[in-house]
Amino acid sequence: QARRARGRRGGRQQQPGSASGSGSGSGLGSGSDSGSGSGSGSARPQPPEPSLLRFLVCPLSKRPLRYEEATNELINEELGIAYPIIDGIPNMVPEAARMTRQKAPAEGSERP
Amino acid sequence: AAPGSVPGRSNRSAVPGPSPVGGTGARLAAGPEMHFGFQTVTEEERREKIYQVFENVAKKYDVMNDSMTLGIHRVWKDILVHKMNPCPGTLLLDVAGGTGDIAFRFINYVRSVRQRQLQRKLKHHQNLSWQEIFESYQKDEFNSLGDSQVVVCDINREMLKVGKQKAEHLGYSEGLSWVLGNAEELPFDDDKFDVYTIAFGIRNVTRIDLALQEAYRVLKPGGRFLCLEFSHVSNPLLSRLYDLYSFQVIPVLGEVIAGDWRSYQYLVESIRQFPPQEELKVMIEDAGFFKVDYENLNFGIVAIHSGFKL
Repeated sequence: QARRARGRRGGRQQQPGSASGSGSGSGLGSGSDSGSGSGSGSARPQPPEPSLLRFLVCPLSKRPLRYEEATNELINEELGIAYPIIDGIPNMVPEAARMTRQKAPAEGSERP
Repeated sequence: AAPGSVPGRSNRSAVPGPSPVGGTGARLAAGPEMHFGFQTVTEEERREKIYQVFENVAKKYDVMNDSMTLGIHRVWKDILVHKMNPCPGTLLLDVAGGTGDIAFRFINYVRSVRQRQLQRKLKHHQNLSWQEIFESYQKDEFNSLGDSQVVVCDINREMLKVGKQKAEHLGYSEGLSWVLGNAEELPFDDDKFDVYTIAFGIRNVTRIDLALQEAYRVLKPGGRFLCLEFSHVSNPLLSRLYDLYSFQVIPVLGEVIAGDWRSYQYLVESIRQFPPQEELKVMIEDAGFFKVDYENLNFGIVAIHSGFKL
């Protein structure tokens, strides 16, 4: 079972393009897990669909975001906040955002 | 949201129904009052309670829909997509689309339209070159949707999870994406989408006026707003039967099937609190939409409102 789990993880990380994890050719028997979705949850970064990144902006300032692969977040440089991507679904609510800088962004003036 | 500013709020407090019960002294400090079903709560409480409702029912959402409406909700959703009549290449934003019902129907629809398009194209070719015949056998896999796309946006993580699992289970992957976002504060740029739909979701939005403004903002000029929602039945006899069914049967079903009568009690109460057809039409017009119209389904149990950004 442990080997299975490792195989699944390996398969996903080697294919950043396929958010739904079709697991072809990773060589560790992960072909069967295409239907398993986001079961075990924690540290397996699933990057978002590239087409989706075209549309997403910061809900507060409506400015473009930068996808940071290392932390799997969408970052608004201006306001210094980062939105997490959990299970391949970007979490675009301000409550979930993390501040990347120490001082608080001027949130009040940013709201339309 | 800044308290006490928007006319939309006063619209909703004038909705017919049981007037807010007393005890305002303690609550005033916390914010303006609103309804959660027939209860009176603050804005913050309302958001939380609604989030909880959908968190609880997410897994049984589809089953409950089928039982409560005897499967008729499928027809309503089919009618919505037929009314939309999307052509391949359409960009759809489905808000409060949690479990993906509208998104999947949209994909099926454009896929079949696309199929027919391709078939017609082939039929009209009298003299195909070998190259063209070869290409037609390629099955056109990368364009079976004709570049149509749907983005499903919902504020509730559980609903999105269920939706995503359903998509994987049913084999939907191309042209479909999922975003966790707030209808009152959409994480999308202006003038982006061809169609905006919100099916059985706007009733649960706390600031409907903001959601409508956001809908207007993200639509392209020429884009269409479509809202499918429970509405008011004007026929008095039918209204009584409907009330009877709603308040006697549905919460019981909720308890039996989902183990949660309270959430379904909220649901039937929220339907009564929601603005009727004409009032919603005015709200949609206030957000800037033109040619706003509505179509009653099943005598007003459900209504589809439509508007255009021109």
